[in-house]
Amino acid sequence: MPQISSQRFGPLELDSNAVLEFPAGLPGFEGQTRFLLVEDRATAPIVFLQSCSASELCFLAAPLAAIDDAYQLAITPEDLHRLGLDENRQPRMNEEVLCLAILSAPEDGPLTANLLAPAVINLVNRKAVQAVRADSRYSHRHPLAPREAPCS
Amino acid sequence: MLVIRRRPGEIVLIGPEVEIEILDSSGSHVKLGIRAPKDVLVLRKEIQLTQQQNLAAAREVSPTALDRLLDTLR
Repeated sequence: MPQISSQRFGPLELDSNAVLEFPAGLPGFEGQTRFLLVEDRATAPIVFLQSCSASELCFLAAPLAAIDDAYQLAITPEDLHRLGLDENRQPRMNEEVLCLAILSAPEDGPLTANLLAPAVINLVNRKAVQAVRADSRYSHRHPLAPREAPCS
Repeated sequence: MLVIRRRPGEIVLIGPEVEIEILDSSGSHVKLGIRAPKDVLVLRKEIQLTQQQNLAAAREVSPTALDRLLDTLR
């Protein structure tokens, strides 16, 4: 099986079922169109979007439901079209699409998730788009706070 | 911030080469038509914010930072 190189994981097998195609890249990374979705049970629910061409480019992401279980999608018709989905309705999360928020974890700075622009993956054709909402309902820097420890 | 009131059909000029025309205004939406040379960036603000976040998120995440993230999600 072909391989790609990853700074985080070392050489990775390029399983075509796990390759996501972002036809338009991502904002700021428009030339990066192929990513491998890497899941590591040790760091669940965090998943990794490893660029197939840039070994140092690896986004950390988490399913939207892990951050806000009441999240409502608002994908624009243009993005629905790019995904090959019906432009007249929002797709069903986890049935038709996998939706991930890209996470930011600076060394000394707040931990945040981009809920304004989730990476939306069409589970049937593996096409993906970072779908930037047109409303202001969610933040591009949604703060992540440590869960409260259970009372003992 | 310069605040200007315009009606549909009216135009605002920005610099010598950029024109913004109000095409339609109804309910909660305003439809704008923008005429600008190809080398002038015209972008929804949310896309710029996402670009900035992606650039920040692309920086290497240390094991400590990864642990801090996991603490918030588990």
